[in-house]
Amino acid sequence: MAQLTHDQELKNKLSAPLATGNPNFHDVTEAVSIISEVKTHRNWYIALAITGSITGMMGLMIAYLIVTGVGVWGNNAPVGWGWDITNFVFWIGIGHAGTLISAILFLFRQKWRTSINRFAEAMTLFAVVCAAIYPGIHVGRPWRAYWLFPIPNEFLDMWQNFRSPLLWDVFAVSTYGTVSALFWYVGLVPDLATLRDRAKTKARKLSFAIASLGWRGSATHWKNYEKAYMILAGLSTPLVLSVHTIVSFDFATSILPGWHTTIFPPYFVAGAIFSGFAMVVTLMVIARWIYKVEHLVTMTHLENMNKVILATGCIVGYAYATEFFIAWYSGNPYESYVFFVSRASGPYWWAYWSMVTCNVISPQFFWFKKLRTNIPFMFVISIIVNIGMWFERFVIIATSLHRDFLPSSWGYFRPTFVDICTFIGTFGLFLTLFVFFTRFLPIIAIGEVKGMMAAAAHEEHYLDEAVAASQGKEPVGAAH
Amino acid sequence: MIQIQGIGNQTGPKFWRSLNELANTPKFQQWVAREFPDGATDIMNSNSRRNFLQLMAASMGLAGLTSCRRPVEKILPHAKSFEGIAHGNSLHFATAMPLAGSAMGLLVESFEGRPVKIEGNPGHPASRGAANMLAQASVLNLYDPDRAKDVVEGGKKGTWDEVAEAMTQAGPLEGVRVLSGYVNSPTLAGLRAQLLAKAPTAKWVEYEPVSDETILDGSRIAFNDSLRPHYDFKKANVVLALDSDFLQLDNRSLGWIKDFSARRSPAHHEAAPAATPAAGAHGANDHAAGDHAPAAGMNRLYAVESNYSLTGATADHRLRVKPSDVANFVFDLARELGAITGLKVLGQQDKFIKALAKDLSANKGKAIVLAGPRQPAAVHAVVALINQTLGNAGETVTYTKEDRRSMASLVELVKDLNSGAAKSVLILGGNPVYDAPADLAFGDALKKVANSAYLGAESNETAAACKCSLPESHFFEAWGDATHLDGSASIVQPLIEPLFGTKSAIEVVGLLVNGKWQSGHDLVKAQWKLADAAWKKALHDGLIAGNAAAPAKATGDKTRVEAAVNAHPKAKGGMEVSFFPSANLFDGRFANNAWLQETPEPMTKIVWDNVALMSPKTAKEMDVAEVVDNVGMYGKKIAIEIDGRRVEAPVLVMPGHADGAVSLTLGYGRTAIGRVGKGIGYNAYAVRVLGSMGFASGATVKKLDGTQYLVTTQEHHNQEGRPIVKENTEAGYAKNQHFATHDEEHVELFSLFDGYDYSKGSQWGMAVDLNACIGCNACMVACQSENNVPVVGKEQVAKGRDMHWIRLDRYFTGAEEDPQVVYQPMACQQCENAPCESVCPVAATIHSPEGLNDMAYNRCVGTRYCANNCPYKVRRFNYLNFHKDLEEITKMVHNPNVSVRMRGVMEKCTYCVQRIQEAKIKAKAQGRAKGEAGPYKVGEILTACQQTCPADAITFGDINDPNSKVAKLKKDHRNYTLLHELNVKPRTTYLAKLRNPNPELA
Repeated sequence: MAQLTHDQELKNKLSAPLATGNPNFHDVTEAVSIISEVKTHRNWYIALAITGSITGMMGLMIAYLIVTGVGVWGNNAPVGWGWDITNFVFWIGIGHAGTLISAILFLFRQKWRTSINRFAEAMTLFAVVCAAIYPGIHVGRPWRAYWLFPIPNEFLDMWQNFRSPLLWDVFAVSTYGTVSALFWYVGLVPDLATLRDRAKTKARKLSFAIASLGWRGSATHWKNYEKAYMILAGLSTPLVLSVHTIVSFDFATSILPGWHTTIFPPYFVAGAIFSGFAMVVTLMVIARWIYKVEHLVTMTHLENMNKVILATGCIVGYAYATEFFIAWYSGNPYESYVFFVSRASGPYWWAYWSMVTCNVISPQFFWFKKLRTNIPFMFVISIIVNIGMWFERFVIIATSLHRDFLPSSWGYFRPTFVDICTFIGTFGLFLTLFVFFTRFLPIIAIGEVKGMMAAAAHEEHYLDEAVAASQGKEPVGAAH
Repeated sequence: MIQIQGIGNQTGPKFWRSLNELANTPKFQQWVAREFPDGATDIMNSNSRRNFLQLMAASMGLAGLTSCRRPVEKILPHAKSFEGIAHGNSLHFATAMPLAGSAMGLLVESFEGRPVKIEGNPGHPASRGAANMLAQASVLNLYDPDRAKDVVEGGKKGTWDEVAEAMTQAGPLEGVRVLSGYVNSPTLAGLRAQLLAKAPTAKWVEYEPVSDETILDGSRIAFNDSLRPHYDFKKANVVLALDSDFLQLDNRSLGWIKDFSARRSPAHHEAAPAATPAAGAHGANDHAAGDHAPAAGMNRLYAVESNYSLTGATADHRLRVKPSDVANFVFDLARELGAITGLKVLGQQDKFIKALAKDLSANKGKAIVLAGPRQPAAVHAVVALINQTLGNAGETVTYTKEDRRSMASLVELVKDLNSGAAKSVLILGGNPVYDAPADLAFGDALKKVANSAYLGAESNETAAACKCSLPESHFFEAWGDATHLDGSASIVQPLIEPLFGTKSAIEVVGLLVNGKWQSGHDLVKAQWKLADAAWKKALHDGLIAGNAAAPAKATGDKTRVEAAVNAHPKAKGGMEVSFFPSANLFDGRFANNAWLQETPEPMTKIVWDNVALMSPKTAKEMDVAEVVDNVGMYGKKIAIEIDGRRVEAPVLVMPGHADGAVSLTLGYGRTAIGRVGKGIGYNAYAVRVLGSMGFASGATVKKLDGTQYLVTTQEHHNQEGRPIVKENTEAGYAKNQHFATHDEEHVELFSLFDGYDYSKGSQWGMAVDLNACIGCNACMVACQSENNVPVVGKEQVAKGRDMHWIRLDRYFTGAEEDPQVVYQPMACQQCENAPCESVCPVAATIHSPEGLNDMAYNRCVGTRYCANNCPYKVRRFNYLNFHKDLEEITKMVHNPNVSVRMRGVMEKCTYCVQRIQEAKIKAKAQGRAKGEAGPYKVGEILTACQQTCPADAITFGDINDPNSKVAKLKKDHRNYTLLHELNVKPRTTYLAKLRNPNPELA
């Protein structure tokens, strides 16, 4: 490669650290597939036992709630929403990084996404599952929660209220969940076929055969696959923006000071990406260490994610400042009170300043390359960011509600043990799903990583060739 | 009613045999199996006790089976229904509630023989259409599962037959003592006379723990005659209240509030409505219309008091002084006015006294000076003299003869009990073991008597101390009669057969006198000897015409009063302790009433507790100010010692309280009581002794280590500079009539949506006059009763889950040491641009064609988004199943016209939509023409809060009808929209508050 074009040079620069150690295609297949093929390690059972029991605790808490009433939480008047909606928004926000990585970065041809996208998409899906629990159980009569969906039933005999942001929320989140699941599954199909082909037992072969939808890796398959993937990426892209925009409408369209602000949609989206990337970093740092895939999930991936965290952290900090400025500039005494008194120095001052410390100050360390490439440091920061983003939702919900217009009805929210255990339980569920995911499915998109490898650079036009081949010639075998 | 302390872990005797349990007894099974119950054939010809009790059991069984109980006689089906009865339609009956020597005329709404809702009787002078908290809540006492139900003798269940045997065979009633509350039942008074004639050694003693006998004592000094003053607030331009909460804690408050509030309307009323002259034509219920005539301009109220009372909150000028200084103040005022001679003692308040004296003198014959029952006789004597000097006597103040000297006779009774002169004692109601002066040690004395019996509605401390306790009927269950303090008499008409085989006081005393059971009905009829028509009229009207007492002549004797002033002892120094009857529990007899326990105390907003009140300064000096953190409020405990007696109480700082004084609330700390009131509060009677029943000086107050968790419904008392309760002086209003609305002017706003079309039919609205409202809480209990609002208990109130549909916001304005207080009734504002409606995803809260903001409970899934988006925070969410632990019998109090809400749904004020619907059906049935403004008569529909408001502060009606009072009030200059800037367009608007300060004291 004596006369490299600028583009090629750049490609090599990028591709080299995206898969270190110069593995060949087979190595990648091995590295990823083997995780699900070896005998289950004892530690896996221990991990499952721990996360499973935490999930079980959540189940008990939810059962207790359904039997007794929402009153087992700390919600009250005036704070009608407490940890329930806080946690809902928190988990929905976490999901955003997955969609962003798989959709927007895909469309922008950000090739560094390949080895983390599967993981991030799984995270999205599992976070949406955790998030979706809350709207279902936070209502006073959970057995009637399905009334939020416009499905025909004899009880209501009328439409839902389409003016309500909560209804938009139902549509936004269910669309998001569906598209994310499809996206993830479509991406999985070639890899599932790989596992099928490698399967030793009949049961394994059969289940992967069904799941891989008869994938043979023909050029037509690849062509259709790429198209489907592209379309789903296109569908997901507006979702990255719309889901959290609509979630923010729950607050922004109300008349409550502290909620009723036009800055919420971009502010929420930035915050969601911020928290989502932090969560991916947290999980990736652990996963690449446990499953020994450091050569596939490289420092470049981590560093890039930390850059995104820094950028979105700054946007979030800017949004906080803007809220204060507008509260002052608008001359609205109720809004000024919420920001300058309730948040900055009111009973929830600790929550507000925790939020600012975690979200605005802590990402600033990532200006330094040394720090953003330091794995223990980024691990700590990523956790701090997520704590901060949880506080952000709590601050928005609780501080705005606890002191609104009439001082006579001011109050305070305190979580109960059921609040706390349910929230911890959602982490249990999230991790349980991850434990299953890492055990049974390819945690890295084998096909995609191969496409980005240095070796693939030589076969840059393999797709075109494959297409040509499919038009009359013998189909090319599965891509390994 | 969940998680009330003590409910869950019942120990000891079982409180209440549940109906299911009852249904499973072999006896009941047998009864069910038989075609006719035992003795059913005797129904017509026998009123034997045995049959009676059997029928009781049968009817109780029926109650359990059908959740609906009828009077025993009506178990037999109507072959023909009689006129006026239609199932599902309620009937109203007039009766009266006797309370501590007074009688409150009531109209009781009854559904199929089940009394459900209490309203004031517009024709009765004590209620004048309104009913206070206590009266409203008394219906819950009827259905109290912890009521006394059985005759208990020596710890064993007895029967009324045994009682009759014991009472009639006891011989010539030797040394019998009867102890009762004030006897204001003419029938009981007649029986008393017969008893005393029959048994010369017998004595009858009256005792009320909360009484105003000091006023009579004062009149004996001033007039040498025992006279009770009556006040005409309609005529009074200036009122001076001395340690008197005449707007809340008096038996005559309801009538007074009505007159007093009518005089709070400003004279400058150009665009304001004149009273509707035709209003009176619409029937007795229409009292609310027409009382706002600004005939003589706004009155001016001065209050001189130690604790902050509702009267003080209403006052234009309030002076906080120690309880003992009230005497000095009134003596000085009398000297200033020339009523008595002598040198003034209070230099400090001279400016106030001079200005006040000038104001009073300028309004000769048009002023009222009154003092509260806590003050000693000398004060009342001087007050009487001042009223005479000012020419008020005979104009605004009149007197009637009344002689009561109960305290001396109680002391004598205790002496007799201890000496053995009293052989047997019968106690009729009350609770002297709990509330008699502590130094009398009444409980110990009672134990020394061989025969003691207690007739009472609850198994209280006195019942426990007596050898025999007899269950007393609720006044809804028994015939009786009662006179009010002005002499007007009412028949107490029962609404339902006794639920538990109880007897009334007249029946028991009748037995004692006549040696046989006589029905209360016969006894009352025999007493009054009315012709049939007159009897029916008396029952219908709730008032027996022509009984009002004639005014008595009263001429004050200056020399006697001056002698009393000179003899008036100086305060002992040290801390002064005043005793207040509870606004919620009165003297303690309502302590097992959950509605009243959960209604916030009007000034402190404390629920389920009583506290010791102190000024901020005194509390700071002693380091006992309550600790408020995010978890809640903790009252630091103090020990109050008076003459070696001691009580421990948590302190709450009351801004505006006098320094160096503590105020204690009576009625709490009951020990022998049902599940609701058990373990609630401290017992202030423990330090209340003879000679200082009103207040004690020379008390020592020590700080203790512990704290007590206190729960309020309102944690923040400052308006934060927001225009919430708009307020001005009358003079300021005269200058700028638009002060309340000047900030409401704005350019026309553009809306994406078409508005609702109200061009036809009615649209409902409400106007609340903050000037009239005194914050008495009657509306809260009325609403609770009307709308089946659940009680949630102390813990849940602490979590901010109280369910009251209407609340009274109380704000302090001004300096912490000496603030002013404003009240604001707050219920759903029924916004036109309702923020709750747009956010509900399942359309459970929607706009009605008449402008109401309706709740469809069945649709509600409980997202609580509506409550979050409500700027007035009036929506209430059923976080738990608050009706779960209700006994079957308590469910009988529910209004069948209003859904009982399940857990998980949102609820809120509906403007009493069931009453609107009732009127709608009535109008339809009568075929009334649908006029431009609907078919309703002005004032035909009254919401429960409006109906019971003694101050007529709440006006509801059809805004589309230009003749309606509410439409007129909404044109008043004072009418403003709360949180106008949000453009939610509430249908409830407020009329700004005005005060009328004396320019010389400005």
